[in-house]
Amino acid sequence: MIDSVRHRPLALLAAVVLAQVLLLAFQIKRESGEHRVRLIRYWAVEMLTPMERAGTWTFAKIGGAWRGYFALKDARAENEKLRGEIERLLLRNRQLESQAAAGQRLAALQSFREQHPEAAMLPAEVIGASADPTSHTLFINRGEHDRVRRNLGVITPDGVVGKIVEVFPSSSQVLLINDKDSGVGALFAGTRTHGVVKGSGDPDPHMDYVVNDEKAAVGDAIVTSGEDRIFPKDLPIGAVASADPGNPFQVIRVRPAARLDRLENVLVLLSQQELAPKKTEAASAAPVATPSTPPAHTAPAPAAAAVTPPKLAPSAAKPAPASSEHAPAQTPAAAQSAAASPNATPKPDAPPPPPRR
Amino acid sequence: MRPPNLTLLPRLPDAEMAYMLNPGAESDANIEVHKYYGGTVLGVALLALVLQAFLHKYGRWSELIDLPLLVTIYFGVSRRNPATGLLLGAAIGIFQDALSHDYPIGFYGIAKTIVGYLASSVGARIDTEHPVSRLGLVFLFFHFHQAVLTITQRVLLNLPARFFSPRLLLDSVVTAGVAVVLFALLDRLRKPA
Repeated sequence: MIDSVRHRPLALLAAVVLAQVLLLAFQIKRESGEHRVRLIRYWAVEMLTPMERAGTWTFAKIGGAWRGYFALKDARAENEKLRGEIERLLLRNRQLESQAAAGQRLAALQSFREQHPEAAMLPAEVIGASADPTSHTLFINRGEHDRVRRNLGVITPDGVVGKIVEVFPSSSQVLLINDKDSGVGALFAGTRTHGVVKGSGDPDPHMDYVVNDEKAAVGDAIVTSGEDRIFPKDLPIGAVASADPGNPFQVIRVRPAARLDRLENVLVLLSQQELAPKKTEAASAAPVATPSTPPAHTAPAPAAAAVTPPKLAPSAAKPAPASSEHAPAQTPAAAQSAAASPNATPKPDAPPPPPRR
Repeated sequence: MRPPNLTLLPRLPDAEMAYMLNPGAESDANIEVHKYYGGTVLGVALLALVLQAFLHKYGRWSELIDLPLLVTIYFGVSRRNPATGLLLGAAIGIFQDALSHDYPIGFYGIAKTIVGYLASSVGARIDTEHPVSRLGLVFLFFHFHQAVLTITQRVLLNLPARFFSPRLLLDSVVTAGVAVVLFALLDRLRKPA
């Protein structure tokens, strides 16, 4: 009896192992006959897979929480580093864009000069603006040393900019066409109706001395008349932005062809040599073709006003307006003559040029 | 059963000699048998099976550890009852077979049945509480378990198998190392004496 008790585990072991050996043999025998012991596997899998599914779900949640919160401890430093890198790249990108824009502007100027070899032009760079917010003037880096003198026209390939009003040894002051002291002899490119484009203190100049009977539609192109002895004929000035009847003349607001608030490079006309018509068509066609849109520019550029103006003597900073720059309000022809250079001889009886189509 | 009369060996008490010849005999009364809260053994065994199958999804590193074997050994040496030890080993092995597809049911069952029986028997005779003894015990049981598997493969299944390989040595070391930690954790599930 005692022996049987002591041998019970050993017998049980033998029985269990034998049973499993038989089970193995049974499976191996049955497996060839396409019968497999699937019930035990079925029970085991059905019992354990829910726990495995729960484990998978738990691990996924824990992993998600870890990745979403705890593993992000270095994300802040990395984020700041990447943000700094982005700012550095943005700054570099702006520098490259600025250089590209400057290159395109210079290329446009060069192209314009090559299109008009008959006219002597001097490229100049805008180096400053007036400190007076009501004064629309610029400073360019060309002066007496570059043969610049007063009352020379300043243009861009887009259109008229203004004229030289003060000359210094190495710089000059340009009076923009939207300054209240400015005046440019002008005419409508279509109807050849004469007038004077004058500054009004607003960003946009006005075209004066156009009677109410004359038809002026929004978008009509306005070009120089050449009678001011400053600008050659048919240079684009701008387009009609609005036209309202007035007393005794229409109130015509002009949108300048040149982007006066974004000038960086300009051309100084060293003479009033008339530009060849066949080559000016390209330059003058832009504002005519798209009158309701601002003139096309090669690339945006920072405002010229952002450039720090140089220190000038009080007399130089505020040039005395010439008497002829205040256009008298008699007739359009007389007004154009009055708007011309003080050195120019007024020609009130000069006949208007024939219309060009 | 009377022990053989070995004159060259010192004379041992009958009970002790009988126990050496029959490791599966009942434990001595003065050896502490650890008890666990209800469901602990079943829960831990199931958890080991689930984890073994579950961790396999996350890489082959889980193949280094045989959690069902560790559970079999632990409860065998703790409960010190060969009958329950071999039955627990058989159940765990059969479940492991059922969850695997490569071998017929009984493959792991036979090996773990024998390991459970031997662990229960050894637990009644040597100190299994010290980490070093646990490390060595698991190391030896691992290779014994592997030897049984190899014999089963070769003899019963007629499949080629090797008794030893460097990979098996690595597996045994890792499993023994994990066992030290795991056994310490499982000790906390014991009922206080």
